[in-house]
Amino acid sequence: MTPARLDATFSALADPTRRAILARLAKGEASVMELAGPFAMTQPAISKHLKVLERAGLISRGRDAQRRPCRLEGAPLRQASAWIERYREFWDASFDALDDVLEDLKKQDRHKAKRRQEKP
Amino acid sequence: MSKLKLLTGAPNEIVMEREFDAPRRLVVQAMTTPEFIKRWLGGKRATVVSAEVDLRVGGRYRYVLRSPDGVQFAFGGEYRELSDERAVHTEKFDDYPGESLVTTTWTETAGKTTLHIVVAFESQAVRDIVMGTGMINGAGESYDKLDDVLASL
Repeated sequence: MTPARLDATFSALADPTRRAILARLAKGEASVMELAGPFAMTQPAISKHLKVLERAGLISRGRDAQRRPCRLEGAPLRQASAWIERYREFWDASFDALDDVLEDLKKQDRHKAKRRQEKP
Repeated sequence: MSKLKLLTGAPNEIVMEREFDAPRRLVVQAMTTPEFIKRWLGGKRATVVSAEVDLRVGGRYRYVLRSPDGVQFAFGGEYRELSDERAVHTEKFDDYPGESLVTTTWTETAGKTTLHIVVAFESQAVRDIVMGTGMINGAGESYDKLDDVLASL
């Protein structure tokens, strides 16, 4: 996933109304009117949120001129959630390598301690 | 088998824990000295291009790495708190949105050190995205696994 796309996904999801819209769409597609209802929001206000979600690729809009139903698109969210795996793998590999560095440091420490003991 | 444990924490957090067979003094030294950081950060196959550490409150750190496939990435941040047993700093990856607050504690018992890391994201939403857990809340509904929800579409 490109940084720009990930940024758009995060921004889109930072808003609780947009998250609620996605939750509603997860249950099935809906028109703008159907989405506006539960939020006591005007259609233009909901449309603003829908534009953000559409630009982020999180929803798609149908062609039906009358209804233009909105549909959830799952791919960007699945790609974003791969981030944690890479993050975890990064630190897992890092700490495994840190084990070896610590063995070296412990050896150095033991040498230093020996030399201190040997000093008259 | 991975020795890195992922634990649960607050809704906007990721918690990691790892034990090292070394006293705390050495673990902290290896984790905060550029000379040593270059030898382990990113794992054996990655290369640390640069590691800068200004270890004081208000000081910054910055690591630039190259992965085995040649892709370069960088992250860094600012130290907010520092003591023998605990460090708090921000963490921001160059090409990714958002900044996390990372709290690291080192606890020594019988010569071994337990490293405990709490990564706090800006919001639960961001944390949930990166974890792949679907806590998308709307009209009082929440979903345990986003994957399951999406698979059912």
